[in-house]
Amino acid sequence: MSVRLTEGAIEAFSTGSDVASPFLQVVNIRRIDGGSGPARFRLMMSDGLYTMSSFMLSTQLNPMAEQNLLAPNCICLVKKNVTNTLKDGRRVVIILDMEVVKSAEEVGEKIGEPTPYVEGQTKSSAPSASSHTAQPLKPQNGHDASSNRGPSRDFGKKAMPALPSTPGGSSKVVPIASLNPYQSKWTIRARVTNKSSIRTWSNSRGDGKLFSMEIVDETGEIRVTAFTQEVDKFFTLIEVGKVYYISKGSLKIANKQYSSLKNDYEMTLNGETTIIPCEDSQDVPMVQCDFVSIADLESRDKDAIIDVIGVCKSVDEVSRITTKNNREVSKRTINLMDMSGKVVTVTLWGEEAEKFDGSGQPILAIKGARLSDFGGRSLSALFSSTVMINPDIPEAYKLRGWYDKEGHALDGQSVTELKAGGGGGGNTNWKTLTDIKTEHLGHGEKADYLSCVATIVYLRKENCLYQACPTQDCNKKVVDQHNGMFRCEKCDREFPNFKYRLILSVNIADCGDNQWVTCFQESAEAILGHDADYLGKLKESSEAAFDEVFQQANFSTYNFRIRVKLETYNDESRIKATVMDLHPVDHKEYSRRLIANIRKLAAQ
Amino acid sequence: MASVYEGPKSRINTSMLSQYISRPVCFVGRVQKVHPTGKSFTLTDGEGKAASVELSEPLDEELSGVVEVIGMVSNKATIMATAYNIFREDKTAFDLEVYNEALKIIHDFPQHYPFEVSASG
Repeated sequence: MSVRLTEGAIEAFSTGSDVASPFLQVVNIRRIDGGSGPARFRLMMSDGLYTMSSFMLSTQLNPMAEQNLLAPNCICLVKKNVTNTLKDGRRVVIILDMEVVKSAEEVGEKIGEPTPYVEGQTKSSAPSASSHTAQPLKPQNGHDASSNRGPSRDFGKKAMPALPSTPGGSSKVVPIASLNPYQSKWTIRARVTNKSSIRTWSNSRGDGKLFSMEIVDETGEIRVTAFTQEVDKFFTLIEVGKVYYISKGSLKIANKQYSSLKNDYEMTLNGETTIIPCEDSQDVPMVQCDFVSIADLESRDKDAIIDVIGVCKSVDEVSRITTKNNREVSKRTINLMDMSGKVVTVTLWGEEAEKFDGSGQPILAIKGARLSDFGGRSLSALFSSTVMINPDIPEAYKLRGWYDKEGHALDGQSVTELKAGGGGGGNTNWKTLTDIKTEHLGHGEKADYLSCVATIVYLRKENCLYQACPTQDCNKKVVDQHNGMFRCEKCDREFPNFKYRLILSVNIADCGDNQWVTCFQESAEAILGHDADYLGKLKESSEAAFDEVFQQANFSTYNFRIRVKLETYNDESRIKATVMDLHPVDHKEYSRRLIANIRKLAAQ
Repeated sequence: MASVYEGPKSRINTSMLSQYISRPVCFVGRVQKVHPTGKSFTLTDGEGKAASVELSEPLDEELSGVVEVIGMVSNKATIMATAYNIFREDKTAFDLEVYNEALKIIHDFPQHYPFEVSASG
C-alpha cells in the first residue's frame, strides 16, 4: 500500500497552523554542528506540493539521522512537533517524535513537483493529488484536542487536561522535552524534584548567589538555575515536591559536568520569568528514578550517574575532611543493601551528611549518585543528587517489606571492598616500574595508582625545602620581602616567620627500571628520617650534617604507593609520579607475594 | 675444605640432603639441639625435618635461633660444616616456612636459577 503525503501540511506549518500527524517526504537532510553540545539535523520536507527547509530534529531523534534512517525520499509520519516563530517571522518546526513509514529505498524518488513555499502564493492542487483530500488543518490554538485523532497535541493534552490557558500568560503549556533555545514564549508545568541550598560566590567580577532545582513533567526533566535577583524572588516560593507553572526562562546547552539529568539543555531563570504554583498536580509525575540493582553496579562504568535505592544497613559517624582546595567538608558513609542481597558503600557530603539520621534503618533512595571504582564499587552523592529518606514510592515499600521479612537476616556481600587495613590490603595494584611504561599508566583521563617495591638510588638535595606560609592549612610558598617579613600571596598577608616544607625528588629503582618520583612533606620526612623544620635548621647551620642525612637515606627500600599521571607543560608531555605513601618493606609478605606470583605464572 | 668457598653452594632442605652427597651446600634451619661435646648440633628446616651438622672444632659460643651453615654433605647425609652464621632476629623473626617455599622455587625452576652450572664444572 502506498503512503499518501499530507498535502497542505507545509502551507499549514508555514502559516503557523498546526497539523495533526502529517505524512511528509524528506527532501534533504543536513547536519549542523554547533560549537558546543550535540549536532542538530535540519530537514527539508515536502508534502508533495511544497517544500519547507526549516524543520529541525530534536536531539533525542538524532540517532535516526545518524543511523541514516532519515535519508532523502523517505516518507515520515511526524507524530509530535512544535512550531516556533522567530523574531523575523520565520517559522521553525521542531520535530519531537517521528517515524519512518517508508524507507528511501522503497520510495526511490521525489513525489510530485514540490516547490518552496512562499507565503500568499497558493498553488492549486496538482492534478495527481486532486483526488486526495488534504488532512484537515487544525487551528493553532485549537483546544478541541480531545477530538483530535492525531497525537500531535498529545503532550498538551496530558499536561493540561482541558485547560491549556495558563494563569497570567497567553503562551501555551509545552512539554519539557520540547524546550529549546530558539523559542521564547512558553510555559511548562512541572514538579520540583530537587532544590539546592543557596550557594554564594565571590570573585574578581563580583559577588553573587545561586540555587538550582530539578523539575520534571511526563516528557522529561530539566535543571533550572536561578542567580542573585531570581534567588531572592523565587527561592522561598519553591518547595520540593510541588508543581509550578514556569514561563520564560533562558535555555542553553546543559553542562553535563554539573548535571546528570537527561536533557541536552538547562534553564536559567531571568527577569521575565514567572513561577506560579499549580494546585491541580495529580497527573504530573513524581521524581523519575531508574534504580539500578546494587548487584549490577559492578558491571557499570565508573563515573556513571545512577539512581539507587536500598536499606541503610549501617551508618558511620560524620567525619570532617579537607578537600584538595582546602575546603573542609563533612562526610558520612552508609552501607546500603537492596534485594539483590549486595551491599554498597555510599558517601554523603556536607549538610546531607550532617543531617542524616540512620536510626531505624530507613530506606534511602538517591537519584543521580556517581559510581566510583574506589575500593571496588562505591557511590557518592553529588551536589546535584537527590537524597530521599523513606520516599513515598512503590519501590521503597517493596524493599521495606522484603527487608523486614527476610533481608535483615542476610549478611550482605559488599561490592565495596574494605579499605586496606595495614599489610597491603586486598586491592593494592602491585606493579613494577617497567609496567609504568609498558602499560602506559597515567595516560588515561584519570591518574593511575600503583604500589611497588623499589630502592632509592638518588635523592635530589637541591631545592628540596621551601619556605611556606605559616598559616595552618596554607602551604603556599612565601616571598621573602628582605625586611624580615614573608608574604603569602594566597592569604594576602605578611608574616614575620614561615614554616619549612619539603618537595623531594627521588630516583627509585627496581629490577627493571628507574623512575623519578616526587615526595611531599610526609613521605619526604619518612624517607629522610627527620621533620622538615629540623632539616631546614640543619641546612642553615651545617651543610655537612644536612648532606649526611641524604647519604643515610640513600639505598633504602620501601613499599611505595605512587600516583602517575601524564602531564603536559609547554607542549611537552611526561609522566609525573608522586609518592602518596611509603612503608618499610614487609619482607615476609613481599616474599609470599613473589612466590605466589611465580607459582601462578608457572601454572599458566 | 677451601673448595666449599670456591663454587656456588646449593640451598637445600633436609629432604634434599641425600641427593647432594659429597657436594657443597648451604642449609638454613632453627637450632634444635646442640650435642654436649659441642662438635655437632641439629637444625630443623622449614618443613620441620631435622638435619645433623658436624663441626671440625667444638663450638665456642652458645648457639640458638636460626643458623645458616655451609659445608659438604657426608655419606651419612649429615652436613660437615665449614662455617656457620647466626641470623639476627632482633627486628623481625625469620620465617623458615617462606624460606622453604623460596628454596623449592629455586629447585623447581633451575632454568631461571642456574646456580649449579658452575658447581658441576
